[in-house]
Amino acid sequence: MGKPTGFIEYLRELPADRPPAARIADWKEFHLHLSEAALRKQGARCMDCGTPFCHTGVLLSGMASGCPIHNLIPEWNDLIYRGLWKEALERLHKTNNFPEFTGRVCPAPCEGSCVLGINAPPVTIKNIECTIIDRGWDEGWVTADLPKQRTGKKVAVVGSGPAGLCAAAQLNKAGHTVTVFERADRPGGLLMYGIPNMKLDKEQVVMRRIRQLEAEGIRFVCNTNVGGNYPAEKLLKEFDAVVLATGATKPRDLPVEGRNLKGVHFAMEFLTANTKIILDGKKNGNFISAADKDVIVIGGGDTGTDCVGTAMRHGCKSLVQVEILPKPPMERAADNPWPEWPKVYRLDYGQDEAAAKFGADPRVYLTTATKFEGDANGQVTAIHTVQVKWEKNDKGQFIPKNVPGTEKILPAQLVLLAMGFLGPEQPLLDALKLERDPRTNVKAEFEKYSTNLKGVFACGDCRRGQSLVVWAFNEGRGAARECDRYLMGSTDLP
Amino acid sequence: MGTVAAGVAKAHADVVLISGYDGGTGASPLSSIKHSGIPWELGLAETHQTLVLNNLRSRIYVEADGQLKTGRDVAVAALLGAEEFGFATAPLVTLGCLMMRVCHLNTCPVGVATQDPQLRKFFTGSPDHVVNFMRFIATELREIMAKLGFRTINEMIGRTDKLAPRKAIEHWKAKGLDFTSILQRPDVWPEVIRYRQIDQDHGIEKSLDVTRLLDICEPAIERGERVHADLPIRNIHRVVGTITGSEVTKKWGPNGLPEDTIHLKFTGSAGQSFGAFIPKGMTLELEGDANDYLGKGLSGGKIIVYPPAGSTFVAGENIIIGNVAFYGATSGEAFVCGMAGERFGVRNSGVNAVVEAIGDHGCEYMTGGRVIVLGRTGRNFAAGMSGGIAYVLDEAGDFPAHCNQEMVGLEKLKDADEIEMIWKLIQRHQAYTKSDRAAKVLADWRQLVPKFVKVMPKDYQRVLESMKKVKEQGLSGDEAIMAAFEENVRDVARVGGG
Ligand SMILES: Cc1cc2nc3c(=O)[nH]c(=O)nc-3n(C[C@H](O)[C@H](O)[C@H](O)COP(=O)(O)OP(=O)(O)OC[C@H]3O[C@@H](n4cnc5c(N)ncnc54)[C@H](O)[C@@H]3O)c2cc1C
Ligand code: SF4
Repeated sequence: MGKPTGFIEYLRELPADRPPAARIADWKEFHLHLSEAALRKQGARCMDCGTPFCHTGVLLSGMASGCPIHNLIPEWNDLIYRGLWKEALERLHKTNNFPEFTGRVCPAPCEGSCVLGINAPPVTIKNIECTIIDRGWDEGWVTADLPKQRTGKKVAVVGSGPAGLCAAAQLNKAGHTVTVFERADRPGGLLMYGIPNMKLDKEQVVMRRIRQLEAEGIRFVCNTNVGGNYPAEKLLKEFDAVVLATGATKPRDLPVEGRNLKGVHFAMEFLTANTKIILDGKKNGNFISAADKDVIVIGGGDTGTDCVGTAMRHGCKSLVQVEILPKPPMERAADNPWPEWPKVYRLDYGQDEAAAKFGADPRVYLTTATKFEGDANGQVTAIHTVQVKWEKNDKGQFIPKNVPGTEKILPAQLVLLAMGFLGPEQPLLDALKLERDPRTNVKAEFEKYSTNLKGVFACGDCRRGQSLVVWAFNEGRGAARECDRYLMGSTDLP
Repeated sequence: MGTVAAGVAKAHADVVLISGYDGGTGASPLSSIKHSGIPWELGLAETHQTLVLNNLRSRIYVEADGQLKTGRDVAVAALLGAEEFGFATAPLVTLGCLMMRVCHLNTCPVGVATQDPQLRKFFTGSPDHVVNFMRFIATELREIMAKLGFRTINEMIGRTDKLAPRKAIEHWKAKGLDFTSILQRPDVWPEVIRYRQIDQDHGIEKSLDVTRLLDICEPAIERGERVHADLPIRNIHRVVGTITGSEVTKKWGPNGLPEDTIHLKFTGSAGQSFGAFIPKGMTLELEGDANDYLGKGLSGGKIIVYPPAGSTFVAGENIIIGNVAFYGATSGEAFVCGMAGERFGVRNSGVNAVVEAIGDHGCEYMTGGRVIVLGRTGRNFAAGMSGGIAYVLDEAGDFPAHCNQEMVGLEKLKDADEIEMIWKLIQRHQAYTKSDRAAKVLADWRQLVPKFVKVMPKDYQRVLESMKKVKEQGLSGDEAIMAAFEENVRDVARVGGG
């Protein structure tokens, strides 16, 4: 540990974000960097705990506590305090294939379980992670490392989201010849077409890594829908093993009156089309604009936030984000103790921007939509909302109940449904006759990843359901390890 | 281990503690935590069996500790032969301890093991947490006892027939392990008692304090009158003066009595712990020699030791007091005309002592007081010494090689007040003990002053300097101490705890 008293001397400091008013004028990333001196102080705040919790990566009350990929956090904190950046990068890459992704988009369960967080603001782990890898790229320390030997085994990875990319990178390291199939026109999964550009730059960050993976020998085959324009059986015939990482892309719908009106969209339709325009530089037929519209975002999670940020950049007229849950407390509630993930109020970037422009956090809590209203052309014009109360039903489950007299009608020309995802799309899984769990996810045990089909593994959101990038990393790495064990009889992959 | 336990049982110990390897303070280095000691189960089994076999178990408690955390742990310890159980980590955790392993760094972030007022604010523990935890332990233990059919802990002690090794351990290293010697029950007559039921006879009524000193000192204890007595002493007389001292403290409180109110002169060989813990106002003079632990925990009293009149040997070259003299002493004075054994002044925090030579590890972990050595020291002097000052007369010039300089600096004497203070202490030493060595040093004073090495703990020096500074700024008392502390606590240059 660099400095035993660092946590007493220095306060938590994050780099400033670009001011909301300025950043909504473009699609560039909004985080800035901290100076090296300031960052070293942040590293010095790490207490080198005798019993660290930041890298445990377990589920407590259903939420991640500690880093799911077990990043060696105290070690690299100390290394950056001592100015040993390259060594820090080596330690970071040991557990994390793509720290530039998690360093930008991870909700940082590590910080939620940071021991310092018990009575002080936690160490800025995520920012340190991001800075280490950004510096690594800048210095040219991240290079294509070709495996010394090829095993002659061929592995197909279906889906190029974070789970697929990690699986591919690890399997390639082990010497297998890896082909990644992706049905979209660009690889990256939700890293490419889900999470918007201002959070994770597509060209400069995502593609930079894809190019490195290609240079290491991984083949990306895009525009290929396995089970669609590429038969599933062919996959089994041509490859020695298959890793499925198709994500949980089936969105949850809101089947209320007026759902089919024009202007009511799933969040992903909106986000994907938007990112495509930024990348292609030209509009296509799918583009959905929020410009000058009253926008309603239904759902208060990450996806909802991204819709808010995107609509803000389009120049929407007004914005309301509807959340069915109550507003979280400012500080941990008594039933949410450390080291659990802190369920507390956060002002994420999208809401921050909306607040800067419209004067207030756009979220309304304990509210749901009951009906969409349209005009003669079938275009949505308004949305009916009502407040809810969470009550226990006779089975003891909490369910929302509408509160009479709280109905409201809000003007809306664009409604975005961001209410989560219901699991993987089924056709490919049906074609392969894979067993599913009760939530329609592919059935495969955590840490084992093998499906009922020999040589077919499943990982990421298609196995565990809608989750986080960092869990996708964990699963992709794990599935690669098990796949390697299957192919070779034993494995050295972590 | 069994042999040691049997030995201490015979020597009237009340308790023997078997402390397993998996316990320990968070201040210990990781290497020690992981790689030293053995499980308490092994030591406990052997201890209990040996004590029973030798019919000694009846008079000594056996305690076990080392990461006891559950009622089951307690049950296993009882069945292996313990009737007392030590808990530390788990209750500490209930108080908020996070097992940071920084107990020695003053940076405990939850205020459990720190002096930093800022961090102590974060302490959230309450005694109720410990009580609650112990209730759980007791509940679980009761459930296990009920299952096994025991009504009391005493019935359980040593009932290894109720223990069976788990068969299902698959680890390859577990193959071939034989637990029979751990689970053995000694084959002795049924009358042999298997847990502690008989009080040890410590023979306190036969101690010198009870038989003679309390009577002699009665005028001083009751009325503060001066008393003086000359008495013979033998090495069977242990802890001489301690009970008397405790009576003085009971009556006169922490300030004791005026200097030399009680003056006892002994002639002969003193047993262990002569003058242990004696308070201010008591002076013990010993013409002869003493065993180990002389002046242990000295708490304000004065101890004077010198060889019998007419001795032909050179005092400074012959051991006159045993090992570990003035261990953990907090205040008082000591004048020893002769050489001390090993570990002289270890953990001394306030005694001023003059001695003529000492063995290895002198002044280890010392935190306060002054120690003057008029001759040679053994090796590893001042290891871990963080406070107080030692002055060593290094005529041979080889003292630096004997000194552990990790935490201390070696200096020359410069300050006139300091030189005078040393002169006066040596002068008193000479007056009390008639030391030839002291007489010679005083006679050659001018030539010898440059040969004194001042052993100054680096941290102590920094704090003294800060103290001086804050006092000049007008602070005093606790405020000054706190300000000086604050000034240094965050300095990475500090050698101790960093
Ligand atoms: C808008 C949005 C924002 C998010 N923000 C965050 C965030 O900030 N932080 C965070 O940690 N998590 C976030 N998440 C969640 C995170 O993105 C996912 O948990 C993660 O991407 C899952 O990774 P995956 O590899 O399992 O699947 P995905 O990333 O979903 O990738 C699956 C890929 O498989 C492809 N595919 C599917 N079927 C086929 C097929 N038959 N043939 C070929 N290709 C196929 C898909 O096109 C897709 O590219 C967000 C999710 C969304 C929707
Ligand atoms: S990947 Fe996420 S949880 Fe792990 S260290 Fe980085 S920010 Fe923390």
